[in-house]
Amino acid sequence: MVTVKIDGKEVQVAPNTLILDAAKEAGVSIPTLCHDSRLNPFGACRVCLVEQVGNPKLQAACTTPVTDKMEIVTRSEKLSRVRKTAIELLLINHPLDCPVCDKGGECTLQDLTYEVGVTKVRFDAKPNDTPVDHTNPFIERDIDRCVLCGRCVRVCDEVVNIQAISFLNRGTDTIIGTSFEQPWNCEYCGQCISVCPVGSLNNRIYLFKNRPWNLDRVKSVCGLCSCGCTVDIDYEGNEVFRMKESPEEGINHGYMCAKGRFGFEFINSIKRESEAVVKAGGESKKVSFNEAVEVAVEKLKKVKDTAGADAIAVVVSPRLTNEEAFLAGKLAKDVLGTSNLFSTESNEVYPEATLEEVENSDCVTVLNIDVTESNPILGLAVRHAARKNTAPLAVFYPGYTALRRVSKNFVTGNPDEVRAAMESYAAAVAGASNDYSALAAKLTNAERPVVVFDPYNKADVKIAQDIKKACAKVKIVPAKSKNNSVGIVDMGFGAKCATEFAKGLESGKFKAVIVLGENLSARSVWTKSASKAAGLELLLVTDPFMSETAAMANVYIPVATFAEKSGSFTNLEGRVQSIEKAVDKGVNTDACVVSALAKGLGAQLPADVSAVRGMIEKEVPLYSGINWDGGVVSYPYVFAGEVAATDGKAKGKGKFFLYPASLRLHSGSFTRWSPDLAKVYGEPMLEIGVEDAKELGIKSNDRVKVKGEGFEGEFLVEIEKKVSKGCIALPEDFVATAGIFCNGKSLRADIVK
Amino acid sequence: MKNVFETIFFTEILQGLGITLSHMFKKPVTYRYPFEATPIQDRFRGIQYIKTHADGRTKCVGCYLCQKVCPSECIHIETDCGPNGERLIRKYELDLSRCIYCGYCEEVCPVDAIHMGWEWNTVASDRSGYVINMKTLSQNYKDNVEGNWKNKHLKKKLVEGVQQ
Repeated sequence: MVTVKIDGKEVQVAPNTLILDAAKEAGVSIPTLCHDSRLNPFGACRVCLVEQVGNPKLQAACTTPVTDKMEIVTRSEKLSRVRKTAIELLLINHPLDCPVCDKGGECTLQDLTYEVGVTKVRFDAKPNDTPVDHTNPFIERDIDRCVLCGRCVRVCDEVVNIQAISFLNRGTDTIIGTSFEQPWNCEYCGQCISVCPVGSLNNRIYLFKNRPWNLDRVKSVCGLCSCGCTVDIDYEGNEVFRMKESPEEGINHGYMCAKGRFGFEFINSIKRESEAVVKAGGESKKVSFNEAVEVAVEKLKKVKDTAGADAIAVVVSPRLTNEEAFLAGKLAKDVLGTSNLFSTESNEVYPEATLEEVENSDCVTVLNIDVTESNPILGLAVRHAARKNTAPLAVFYPGYTALRRVSKNFVTGNPDEVRAAMESYAAAVAGASNDYSALAAKLTNAERPVVVFDPYNKADVKIAQDIKKACAKVKIVPAKSKNNSVGIVDMGFGAKCATEFAKGLESGKFKAVIVLGENLSARSVWTKSASKAAGLELLLVTDPFMSETAAMANVYIPVATFAEKSGSFTNLEGRVQSIEKAVDKGVNTDACVVSALAKGLGAQLPADVSAVRGMIEKEVPLYSGINWDGGVVSYPYVFAGEVAATDGKAKGKGKFFLYPASLRLHSGSFTRWSPDLAKVYGEPMLEIGVEDAKELGIKSNDRVKVKGEGFEGEFLVEIEKKVSKGCIALPEDFVATAGIFCNGKSLRADIVK
Repeated sequence: MKNVFETIFFTEILQGLGITLSHMFKKPVTYRYPFEATPIQDRFRGIQYIKTHADGRTKCVGCYLCQKVCPSECIHIETDCGPNGERLIRKYELDLSRCIYCGYCEEVCPVDAIHMGWEWNTVASDRSGYVINMKTLSQNYKDNVEGNWKNKHLKKKLVEGVQQ
């Protein structure tokens, strides 16, 4: 430890601490503009200059490490003159269009200008006037306002590792731009927007919609993928204006992805339903909430009396909160007396490693999943491990993903080759000697190895289990897909296999089905039998939107999205985090629906979050005494039992291997209602490699038919150079593609023009 | 001696009558409101107007500062992004039944758009006309410039003041 004196206050800090951090420790604030504690020191703006006693030169606090007995002065006559000049120089080219700038009110440069007291510019102000760049669908770039702090460039390089933007030109001509000034095309994660201290990079979804001082804010958890990012929901009245990061907070450290940052618009969608619909005799009628519940209760009673409780099934979606899922379970088991609880999730595999452990891992293996798209923040953690810890990263995937930039061992090929490679890798970890022995040795020799895999692909789960069995110190990360995929399993919705529900529908065993938030038609396990649900005595569907399943329902009740309710989600690490209600769109929550149904059936279930939490703590052993604000559930096991070996080989005949692509810019079927995401990626696109496309003579945005054994479909083509030769990929979770992937995860197909 | 003189010749009464007489030739200081117009001072704060550019576009940029500063919360603005990425004012509403004519909106406006006018008569038989929008506010500017006062009393008000 070294002793430093800052403005007369003595502090003890570790050697090599930056002056800025030491000052923070001493309770002295130093103004900064280009500094971000998550990024490497840069020292571009010279606003944080401080005086060191005995040194005639001024030091930049954000780049200079402390030495023992250092004496620092942060406030003096000289320093305030220097800081003022630094700001004045920045203001020469910075247009003073604060009234129309989206950053006005939360701009670091604006705040600093007030702080140092610049009232007039001594120099010849020459504001730049170049046209604003709108090539990026989500990010507005106004290079005139840029102060060249380099935060966007650094975050894109150090954290996201995409290097989409960089400094162009030299000296006074320097601007931030893309290589060779090409149109800006990147992952659209928007990290650059979040770090920009001025209004140079703006969120186009929020652009000019409101001003920051009008917005109220709640800290909540993102309800899209299962990373469980802490977010700020900014709203005014009952409209959500933006979802942004909580600076440097949460398991995501203030990073977000395109879905979270730009995909929230579905909350405000005008396509949302506001009235319940009851269908009787082929006629649908808009009714009140109470009437809809009454009809449902009547029918439930009738089915229970005539066909027994076993003819009733409850299906929940992983979008529900823990509290709602628990109530749904209570309704089914205690009130209706049925054990038919279904969801797409299963309790075969539980989370083990936390995101922090992934970040600090010294060897990461990613099995057959594009984490950067499916779980972007987990993807950032993997990149962090590979880049900052220089952990060896092995990736197995049929096509190149964004991880290619940080992975030296990227195994690609057609899905069968990749599967064979993963199998021999698992064998090598177990001790066999083959091509992957060297790679496997890295895993077995590592101290904190991590394996990331897709828990929905049985064959991958088997491989992950084999690796875990051979090397016990490996921590696994099942990359679950939805915000509460883990939580609903904990609440009892993972015990029964999803295929059992499909069989029950097919055989006509179920007469009444309560579907809370799920869209049966878009899930590959259920899509084939979904049409059978239309003829049921009761199909009660709750959904914020009129989904394909909701359209079939004979009782439909519109419900709230995650921004309109309180509760908790359990993320892919098994971390329970509370969500807060931000807005009210005048619809009930799923908890209210369940509670009203219970009341109609003569039982009492509370809809209030704290009461339900009390019940959960009593009745769910995993959650007894859990901290609802970030407590990690300790699971009794990782794998439920021996995973049956499945033949992962591609099924059927055809020239091409067809595999499920990651959902680009989307998280399941919810975000499809976001107009802005849908503009960029609205319908499933068939990804095909450049060579194959040339051979077949097809171009981007052509429509081609994909034909395989038992399926056929027409899709738009997207030529993607990352896709391996002989492979095509389609996203799952769309109604059009669910019918394809119900045949298997790895298929063979032909392309017919 | 002086007192006797004053007593005999009623000089004080004559003095008083003199004052009265002199007032008979002065202009009256009272106004026969509502039959006669009351004068309006240059710095009077009446119903707002919003300036427009020569081509008729509003000068307002929708920065929300007037909405923020308004102590009676009578201004409501909604903005959005236009098709070419420009700032677009979807809604600008001013509720005259709430306005206290303090003039803060005029003070805070960074682009010199909103101003307090001289028109003051908001009397109506119902409240529907009290919420005025950008169209009315721009029209108010035109009226102020051209001197088309709704209020007959304002006929003489100088137009140059608005045009400045």
